[in-house]
Amino acid sequence: MIKVRDIKSNINLWSILSLIFIILIVLPNLNIFINIFNESNQNWNHIKEYLLKDYIINSLTLIMFTGLFTIFIGTSLSWLISVYDFPFRNFFKWGLILPLAIPPYIGAYTYNGLLNYTGVIQSFLRNFYNIQVNQKYFNVMSIKGAIFIFTIFLFPYVYIITKSYLEKQSSSLIENARVLGRNSMETFVYVVLPISRGAIIGGVSLVILEVLNDYGVVKYFGIPTFSTAIFKTWFSMGDIDSAVKLASILMFLVFIILILEKFLRGRKKYSYTTSKITPISRKRLKGFKGKLAFSFCFLIFSIGFLIPTLQLIHWSLLTYKDILNIRFVKLIVNSLSIALISSVLIIIIAIVIANYCRLKNNFLSKIYSKTTLVGYSIPGAVISIGVILFFINIDNRLYWVYKMINKNSAKLVLSTSIIMLIFAYIMRFLAIGYNSIESGFEKVGNKFFEASRTLGMGITETFIKVDFKMIKPAILSGFILVFVDILKELPLTLILRPFNFNTLSTKAFEYASDEMIQEASIASLIIIIISVISIYFFYKAGNKEEV
Amino acid sequence: MRRNVRNISIGLVLALTLLVFAGCSTNEVNKTDDLETEKKKVVNLYTNRHYDTDEKLLETFTEETGIKVNVVKGNSDELIERLDREGKDTKADLLITADAGRLYRAKEKDLLQSAKSEVLDKNIPENLRDQDNEWFGLTVRGRVIVYSKDRVDPEELSTYEDLINSKWNKKILVRSSSNIYNQSLLASLIEINGEEKAKEWAKGVVKNMARDPKGNDRAQATAVVAGEGDLAIMNTYYIGKMLNSSNPEEVKVAENVGVFFPSQNTSGTHINVSGIGLTKHAKNKDNAIKLMEFLSSEKAQKQFAEANYEYPANPSVEPSELLKSWGEFETQNINLSKLGENNKKAVKIFNEVGWK
Repeated sequence: MIKVRDIKSNINLWSILSLIFIILIVLPNLNIFINIFNESNQNWNHIKEYLLKDYIINSLTLIMFTGLFTIFIGTSLSWLISVYDFPFRNFFKWGLILPLAIPPYIGAYTYNGLLNYTGVIQSFLRNFYNIQVNQKYFNVMSIKGAIFIFTIFLFPYVYIITKSYLEKQSSSLIENARVLGRNSMETFVYVVLPISRGAIIGGVSLVILEVLNDYGVVKYFGIPTFSTAIFKTWFSMGDIDSAVKLASILMFLVFIILILEKFLRGRKKYSYTTSKITPISRKRLKGFKGKLAFSFCFLIFSIGFLIPTLQLIHWSLLTYKDILNIRFVKLIVNSLSIALISSVLIIIIAIVIANYCRLKNNFLSKIYSKTTLVGYSIPGAVISIGVILFFINIDNRLYWVYKMINKNSAKLVLSTSIIMLIFAYIMRFLAIGYNSIESGFEKVGNKFFEASRTLGMGITETFIKVDFKMIKPAILSGFILVFVDILKELPLTLILRPFNFNTLSTKAFEYASDEMIQEASIASLIIIIISVISIYFFYKAGNKEEV
Repeated sequence: MRRNVRNISIGLVLALTLLVFAGCSTNEVNKTDDLETEKKKVVNLYTNRHYDTDEKLLETFTEETGIKVNVVKGNSDELIERLDREGKDTKADLLITADAGRLYRAKEKDLLQSAKSEVLDKNIPENLRDQDNEWFGLTVRGRVIVYSKDRVDPEELSTYEDLINSKWNKKILVRSSSNIYNQSLLASLIEINGEEKAKEWAKGVVKNMARDPKGNDRAQATAVVAGEGDLAIMNTYYIGKMLNSSNPEEVKVAENVGVFFPSQNTSGTHINVSGIGLTKHAKNKDNAIKLMEFLSSEKAQKQFAEANYEYPANPSVEPSELLKSWGEFETQNINLSKLGENNKKAVKIFNEVGWK
């Protein structure tokens, strides 16, 4: 009798749905792993002999240097902002997040258009002062340029995480160091860096995953890396087996990085050690020092946001007459509606799994919770292969159902529809939604849920009447983050979209690759504006929570 | 108030879910509609071209024949991959894509079929179409040498083979070998000079490069004017595009370079096409062939070629004034199918000699 009761109490709507979602996330990835052991063909031998070395070296160079530079910029800025007071500090506090609103591929072609021979800077020097500069110093289309682009648009990941850690955690330690007579530099090196190691590494691993996921920048700059190689072998060579092999090597690289992250963080988990948050008493920087701090922040803000945005506005003014038409409106509607639908679905799935996991809290639920994070670490190029193979497989199996519904039905129904793209978005971005909802549940705890259950409400009823209301801020911030990420997403959208389905990001990239950089500006600007607004709301919501 | 918010949000979620399902089911309905209309006057076209003038041209076709043209646009490689994936379920009747190398790949993957039409045979010269009539070139571009008007005397230029001469050391600008235009150029040299000579040539060009290959064709012309090198290998239509750019600086660049057609006294200048093929599983074969014939006809060819600053494939149609100003030129006398046949060899040679 007890056993039946056990099963009964374990099987409910939430557990069944969670199981289904988890299986759906795992299955497409299995496709990739199964294919690793396929026999290698001639193409693969050729790739291995002549190309693989370059892919590995380039990808590693990119992640190493981008990692180092983002650590330097992100940490120093978060240190300045959290422990000092200087002119415009309040603005920079959130302004320095803004580079995140510009997707790196848009930053890449904007900077190239700005700096190259026909760009504003060189034309100005040439036409007004007759100065011919050496192209070497103005060329961003190189591996160094790519490192610059990634650093300047991705450092906010390190900045945000480190800053919030410093603000919440470190005040007593920093003050002790000050009292004991350490100067600023010493405090930074001997106290701040060691204690915020976990936060810094957490931020930088996000940066590294983004770099490995990137397709737009490296493709535009012509740098052979894993993601471009996967696209090339798949589409130009038409060799999906070799593409899968490349994908599996890339997955392997990602796993090493994740393990390394765990190892480097050590026991220092990035979490609250005390519930009491004492804000740091900020030191006022006067005179020259204040100006220096301001200049550094302003410099980074300009390079990471102000300059590219102004350039895009300039280009928009040149081209809006040709670009803004009814087709462009459709583009915006496409982008917004697919981002909206996918975000809502992601939030719903995240709620279901997170709610199940916190209530069960057993071995299985821990696995679930880890599985949701898988998608975010897998680069888009890899996910897209897995998803396509998976959907073609489903279509083959469901063909008889399609035929029952419609005698003349085509075989590939799902794999030629927008559902495939939405599915891929869910796989990739579930982690982001899940993280914020999980932390929402963590803050609320289980007491209210238990009280409600004791008073006779069911799980679902409790969720709607109690939990939902309490985690609303978490839902909102999760939704915003996911929404912006989908809006900016490029590689998945590029491959998996149905025909004639363009979004702002694919259109901007197409224009840019067609060498029509000015024409790409309006689509890019709209993405940036929506992202800025979302970041602002997200920032405000975060601040409210803290108070 | 709170309850309202809750109700609204639940309602929103429900509405969205319904929307998704509605989206799927309308797709289904459309499909049946399509199938019914397929027996009517329709033709479905997959194309990599995206010019507004094309739309007007297709409208003219519809007016004349009553056949509606459904267009699906995409990147060339993706279109071929998609066609392959869709197999016999594809709705596409025609594929338009740039480069004979790609058209050959589509043929090799068994995605195309032979189109029998006297009109096409008459309009499109033999070397610009597939040996089995599985694809037909519609527009022609040359891959030429562009030189700095300040620093290079065109008298010094002669053939593609001459580019490996030591006088051009650190002077040549060319894009990456992952680009199909370079692959097809080398494929043609393999055909004309043999594999070994072609490899020597590729090696020599790498040695004479002014910088590592980067950027696209336009970037090479810009680099010439910026003084990074003296010669660039690029497609003719890019000069046309630059001359008509919305950026005045780019126009200046194009005005400062000269166009040279190499190998005039030997094997001729390398040309390539943007072409059309009838898909293997075309459901509207007759309509499709009518559209192919229309696009090869004298009245369509001019507009079709000029949209992209290219030469018309139909020899009885004159090229635009701009192209005429560059003068007439002799072309390589090989069947363009060879570009596809030699593609794999070309890619291998590039990787072996380290042409990035």
